Amino acid sequence: MTIAPPSDQLAVGAPERRRPARRTGRAPGRTPIGYVFVSLYAILALAFGIFPALYAVFLAFTNADGGFAGLGNFVQVVTDFRFWPAVLHVVAYLVIWLLALLIFVVLLALVVHALRVRWASTSLRFIYYLPGALAGASSVLLWLFVLDPIASPVSGLLRLFGFTSFVQVIQPGNLPVVFAIIAFWTGAGGWIVIMYGALNNISTEVMEAARIDGANAVQIALQIQLPLLRKWIAYMGVMSLAAGTQLFVEPQLLSQASNGVVPNDYSLNQLAYLYAFQQNDFNGAAAISLLLLVVALLLSWVFVSRGGLFEKE
Amino acid sequence: MTALTGERRSSQLGMSIRGWSGRGIAGVVLVVFVLFFAIPIIWLLIAVTKSSKGLILDNPFALGSWSEFAANWQQLFGFQDGAVTTWIGNSALYSIGALVLTLVVSIPAGYSLALTEFRLRRALLVLTLVVMLIPSTALVLPIFLELNTVGLIGTPLSVILPMSFFPFGVYLTYIYFSTSIPRDLLSAARIDGCTEIQVFTRVALPLATPVVALVAFFSFVQNWNNFFLPFVMLPSSDGYPIQVGLTSLLSATPAFNPSSAGSDSVQLPTLALATVVSILPVLIVFLFSQRFLVSGMTAGGTKE
Amino acid sequence: MVGIHTAVRSRRRSALIVSALGAATALLALTGCTSAASSANGSYGFPEAKQDNSSTITVWVDADRQAAAKAFEATHPETKIKVVTYDGSANGSNSFRTKMQLFDRAGSGWPDVVFSSQNNDAAWASQKNGGKQAFAAVMNKGLVPKDTLDNFTPGALNPCTIDGQVYCLRNDLAQAVLWYNKSLMDQFGYTVPTTWEDYQALGEKVATEHPGYIVGAAGDPWTPEVYMWASKCEANNITGPTSVTVKTDTTECKRAASMLDTLRTDKTVPLVSVFTPEFVKNYSGKVLMMPGPAWYAGAIFNNPQSLNVPAGQLGVAAPPAWKGDDKPATGNVGGGTWFISSHSKNLKASEQFVEFVTTADQYQVDKAPGYPAYAPAAAKWVAKQQSSNYYATSLDPIVTAASQVWAGWGYGLFSQEAIWAKTMTPAITGGQSIVSLLPTWQQAIENQAKVNGYKVN
Repeated sequence: MTIAPPSDQLAVGAPERRRPARRTGRAPGRTPIGYVFVSLYAILALAFGIFPALYAVFLAFTNADGGFAGLGNFVQVVTDFRFWPAVLHVVAYLVIWLLALLIFVVLLALVVHALRVRWASTSLRFIYYLPGALAGASSVLLWLFVLDPIASPVSGLLRLFGFTSFVQVIQPGNLPVVFAIIAFWTGAGGWIVIMYGALNNISTEVMEAARIDGANAVQIALQIQLPLLRKWIAYMGVMSLAAGTQLFVEPQLLSQASNGVVPNDYSLNQLAYLYAFQQNDFNGAAAISLLLLVVALLLSWVFVSRGGLFEKE
Repeated sequence: MTALTGERRSSQLGMSIRGWSGRGIAGVVLVVFVLFFAIPIIWLLIAVTKSSKGLILDNPFALGSWSEFAANWQQLFGFQDGAVTTWIGNSALYSIGALVLTLVVSIPAGYSLALTEFRLRRALLVLTLVVMLIPSTALVLPIFLELNTVGLIGTPLSVILPMSFFPFGVYLTYIYFSTSIPRDLLSAARIDGCTEIQVFTRVALPLATPVVALVAFFSFVQNWNNFFLPFVMLPSSDGYPIQVGLTSLLSATPAFNPSSAGSDSVQLPTLALATVVSILPVLIVFLFSQRFLVSGMTAGGTKE
Repeated sequence: MVGIHTAVRSRRRSALIVSALGAATALLALTGCTSAASSANGSYGFPEAKQDNSSTITVWVDADRQAAAKAFEATHPETKIKVVTYDGSANGSNSFRTKMQLFDRAGSGWPDVVFSSQNNDAAWASQKNGGKQAFAAVMNKGLVPKDTLDNFTPGALNPCTIDGQVYCLRNDLAQAVLWYNKSLMDQFGYTVPTTWEDYQALGEKVATEHPGYIVGAAGDPWTPEVYMWASKCEANNITGPTSVTVKTDTTECKRAASMLDTLRTDKTVPLVSVFTPEFVKNYSGKVLMMPGPAWYAGAIFNNPQSLNVPAGQLGVAAPPAWKGDDKPATGNVGGGTWFISSHSKNLKASEQFVEFVTTADQYQVDKAPGYPAYAPAAAKWVAKQQSSNYYATSLDPIVTAASQVWAGWGYGLFSQEAIWAKTMTPAITGGQSIVSLLPTWQQAIENQAKVNGYKVN
């Protein structure tokens, strides 16, 4: 059957028009069916998302006995000697990580997508994805060795940078980069897969038309593919921002691998964990989590509004 | 049509990028990143065939021996009388259970958020996004208390239920449905007399195979790798998934827990083998879902 | 932009929803309340749960201590136990404390017996937690026979003793001694030092006469426990459940720091951790001496995966003393502890289990890898090690050192190893001297103590 191309295809090259939701036929979905479909999810969201979140807010503003504490927990947390160093660590990491992710994932997805040889494309995506399967405790051993100039498979590279021992590699100044590398290594593959899929969604006719018009690869990428990927890039930005502010796994596993030389209070999320499970101060932990949430929300608002994540086409 | 085939014939390197410099740069980028992603994995695979000393002293890419691999295998699966096998089984149970529940919950939810109108739509989207951004440390205690109230702590459900709340998947579905399924298609179906449920099951769902595969895949991987939730909810080691079990393994490895040292404690290559074993299911699932991921959501109505 | 307006509208709607849910959340908050158990002290000095002497007890052990549980099952089949393995709270995971606190909040679920590979858990387990009953059962008010408690090596139960009450039993000791390679020492014509001053002099001599050989290692997180503790440096003097004295600018601290600095510059006590590839690669066959805990024997020397020192070469000497110190002192790196839950419904069986695993020959002598804390078992264990004919000297120095662990270094809620690893090791790697870092160390300990609720000095 003839199918009209998806609505976002029509927007190519022209200022984006947003078509009103209901133009043809009778108004869809003004029946209660939307509620039915979403009901199961709403129940789970309430039980495991919204209620716990509200409880966390409740915890953040009360003290251990349940009495109202006002901003007491926040003051305590912010004046903790580990708080501001953790903030700096997360910011440094976030800048490097987000930039690397946004630039390289899109670049790699574009390049892999440009491959016409099917098996090359598939196997490349498999290779890029492989590290994503390694999470948490599994990769403690891996990084203990990969970062050790004595036994690492990339020892030549490490020695090139002047490192002769593991402790030198994990010096505090290097850590944001090291964590960004580890996080990129595990996280990029999944996003490349998603971006690749999104790229496949773009009609090749549009691309061919542009090519015939004389556009080279870079121009096609910049003017056709990237705008159409806007929503996906925005989503990746938001998710990575959330993941980045919640930096936990990488410093935790390096902390284990190095027997504590990398501290277990490096990031804010780790600090929240320590508050909750080492100091038994769930109120402080909730306060830190709320702070993290607020920051992540503010930052992700940028992506949501500029990426049009909530707009319907 | 002729323009297309002409174009294809001219790209000898199998790329649709014209010009040597473009292809050169693209090639370099590809190779560099292949090395970046693959070298640690190759090292890991080789590491399982070595002895601990060999791991330290030999060339990182030198292969070990079959007998050392067998010894590592023995040590791994003999650990705590076969605990590793139990752990993998548990991981499979939790991940697949949560996967099924996630699909049943998330796909209709994403569909309705994208393609139907109801009053709390925006609210739910915003709330979902907000909840996704909350660090899980803050949510663990309330969830623990909730599940304790209904007496589920220590049972598989205490892990499966929270895991099936998968807002990431709902968002993926939402984005997919809102960008790839034309509303006209649905309207046409409605005009043809389909009820809303039929519109979903007969029109939208078949077109959504790629995103179903994608959500299933990501859900499975996230659940398989989830450490914190099972750690808190499951007190007994019999119920551990492999990720939590690995910490037990780590604590019996001298390099990470010096006081457990002795020549019969867990060796580093055994840990490497444990790592490989723990990621194998994820890789297998990835290979199988490649087919759907490759078709990459083109089913949204393009002509190819 | 339309996007903003709809978002604002939805935020208002969210606010309505939030307030509606707030009421429900209040309900949820109440579920955190637990039903109060009787808070009157029982006959053993703590509030007891209703006892049932035939119920199965749940025992938490780590992988290495599973053998202990099995030995118990073989010897006492009439007592029913359920064994759960966990990571033993090792590696900074803190899982013992984490899980018990969760159970406290839930009001149920505690195991009866727990093994912890750390020995600072009594610091929190002996205290009430947010109004909830303390987890650890008091052992010296009748629960464990006095004779048993008295037979532990003097000082072994210090980590378990808070305010005069004993809250746990020590599994093994890890007293620091002076390991040395007798063959190499004889070959080079050196005598084993008895004072730290002589040790430093020997180290400097080795640097000139036999470069490449080492007399110690200072890159591990427990370096302060071997060197600073033995020097009676008052960096961790826990004076009460919530008070600690920290003074790192004393002569005692400075002398050890300066010795380490000198030997590190000489490269005879390098900044390397003994469990790294670097150590094995660079120093196999080059370890002349090594101050370290008793378990170094099995972990590093007699381990084919590490130094693999052949039989007949490894000797042990008493830990060196500083000139002028009348009482010899040494440090301690590890050891584990066994706890009985105060919520246990079968204290009799729990006590039987804990007493067995810490004192019985069937485990501590026959199977335990570490030096038992229970003195009679320790004597037999040492005899067994000696009979293996691996060591070049008598093992008596280990026994003597067991009761010489300096009591001025305590076991607080915070980890000294973690502080040293994250504060000192990177700074030393960056080129600073330990002596110049002593104030930084002081500050770091104070900070960590304060966030854990301690009053400092």
